[in-house]
Amino acid sequence: MSLHDCAIVGYAETKIVEKGTKDVWELSGEILGSLIRTTGIEKGAIDGLILSSSMTSAGNVFWSQTVADQLALQVNFAQTVDIGGCSPLGTVARAAMAIDSGLCNNVLCLFADTQASEDNRPKRPFRQEWTSAIGYLGPPTAFGFISKRYEHQFGLDYAALGKLAVTQRNHAILNDLAVEKLRKPITVDDYLNSRMIAEPIRLLDCVMVCDGASGVLVTSRKNAERKGFTKAAIPLGYGEITHYRAGESVFDITETGHLVAARKAFEQSGTKLSDIGSFHPYDDFIIAIMLQLEMLGFCKRGQGCAFIRETDLSHGGDLPLNTGGGQISAGQAGLAGGGTNLVEAVRQLFGEGGKRQVANRKTAVVTGIGGIPYTRNFATSSVMVLSSNA
Amino acid sequence: MTKLNDTRLVERVPPSPLSFTRPFWDATRDKRFLLQYDPRNGKYQFFPRPVSIYDGQGELEWREVSGEGEIYSYTIEVRARPPFQGHEPFALGIVTLKENVNVMANIVNCDREELRIGLPVRVCWLPLSNGTHLPAFEPRR
Repeated sequence: MSLHDCAIVGYAETKIVEKGTKDVWELSGEILGSLIRTTGIEKGAIDGLILSSSMTSAGNVFWSQTVADQLALQVNFAQTVDIGGCSPLGTVARAAMAIDSGLCNNVLCLFADTQASEDNRPKRPFRQEWTSAIGYLGPPTAFGFISKRYEHQFGLDYAALGKLAVTQRNHAILNDLAVEKLRKPITVDDYLNSRMIAEPIRLLDCVMVCDGASGVLVTSRKNAERKGFTKAAIPLGYGEITHYRAGESVFDITETGHLVAARKAFEQSGTKLSDIGSFHPYDDFIIAIMLQLEMLGFCKRGQGCAFIRETDLSHGGDLPLNTGGGQISAGQAGLAGGGTNLVEAVRQLFGEGGKRQVANRKTAVVTGIGGIPYTRNFATSSVMVLSSNA
Repeated sequence: MTKLNDTRLVERVPPSPLSFTRPFWDATRDKRFLLQYDPRNGKYQFFPRPVSIYDGQGELEWREVSGEGEIYSYTIEVRARPPFQGHEPFALGIVTLKENVNVMANIVNCDREELRIGLPVRVCWLPLSNGTHLPAFEPRR
C-alpha cells in the first residue's frame, strides 16, 4: 500500500473572516507563500496542484488550470476534487496516488473559498424539482430530519450536544485564526436557548459560512527523509465512500458511510481507536460529531450522548476534539472548511498546538462529510488516520 | 393546538422537468402519483432517475400508486428563504410510501401536536401555475 509512502511536510492557514475583502486567489497566494517559507520547498519544485472545490469557483470548468496560472505554477498534475466537504481531505489521498504513480513529487493541496463574499453556485434543476419547491432550507433541514429520526430511535440528550458546542467554542478562543465573532465563551444553556432554525436544529448547531483558506504540502516520505524534515504527518489509512447504500430506497439515516470508511482507514493504518491522540471530525452540524463518534466505534450506536457526557473532549482531556474549534466555532470557509479540521490535526502532530497542544501527538484522526442527498445522510463520508514521525 | 402553516399561499416556481422526470410531472396535472418501477427486481424508486438504482439499467416502468404512507422523519422550518419567508413555521417530512420509497414533501393540514414519526399520511396536491401539481402529504384520519 502506497498511502504511507507520502508525508505532509507543511501546513498553512489564513485567518477565517465573516466576509472578507480579499479575493480567493489572494488567499490562495498567501497559502502558497506560507508553505514555501515553512517547508523551504521552492515554488519551482512544486510540480503538483490539487484543489478542493469551492463555492467561489463553482461553474468554472478550468479551475485548477486557472489557479495554477494565477500562482504561476508549472505542474505535471492539476486537479480539482469535487466531493463537497470531503474535498480537502480527499486531496491528500489523491496527492499520495499521484506521487506514488510517478506523476509528480511535491504537491500543493490548496483549499480556498470565499463563499460568504462570492458564492457562484449555478442552479441545477435537481434542487428546483425536488427540494426548492417545498421550502427545503438545505443542510439545516437535512440535519433536522436526521436528529428527529435519531431521537425517535434512540432518544437524544440535547444538553450532551450542547457540551460539544461548548467544548469546541472553548478551543476556538485559543485559536487566533478562528473567526472573531465566535471567539466568546458559551454555556450549555446558551446552546439550548439559541433560536430554532429547522426544529430541532438550533442556531448553535450550525456552522457559519465564512471566507478563508488553508493548505498542506505533500511529498514522498523518501524525499521528506532526504530533506531532513523533522516534522511530518504520515497518512497511514484512508477510507472514502460516496453514496453509501445507493442501491436502496429506504434505509436508516442515523447510519452513515463513516461506518465503512472508518473500518477501512483503521485496518489500513494498523491503529486502534485507543491510539488516537486527537480527533478532528468534520463538523458542519453538532449532531454530525456525535454520529461520527458512533460510526467510528468510540461507542455503540445510540450511546453517543452517554459517551459525550462521560468523556472529557477538551484539548487536555481523554479525547481531544477539534482542538482549534472545528468549523462550527472557527467558521466554515465554504467547501475549503474541511481544511480547518485537517490542518489542526497536522498542527497537533507537529507539536505546534501552543496553548491547545494535546499530550499524545502520535496519532490523529480527521474525517470528512460531503453533501447531503435527498432523504439520505451524507453523499460522501471519509476518514483518515495520520501519524507523526515523532 | 399549535397551528403550522400549510404553505398553500406560497408562490412556488413550477419545476422544469428533465428528459426522464417529465412523466412524473405530466401525471401530476391529473393529480396522479407515478413511481418508477424496476420490473426485473420488482422494486420501486423515488426520485425519478435515468436508470434503475438496483441494476443500473434504463428500462423502467411508470406505475401509479395510492400515495399512502407514513412519516419517517420530519422537521419544522422556523426560518426560510423566499418565497417561503413569512410562511414559517411549516413542516417538512420524509414519507415512506407503501411501495417502500422515501419522498420529501410539505406536511399540510396537520397541527404540531399531531405531527409524529409513524403518522399515517396520504398525498394531497398543491396547484402550480403551469397546471402541474406539487405532491404534499396530510394525515389520514
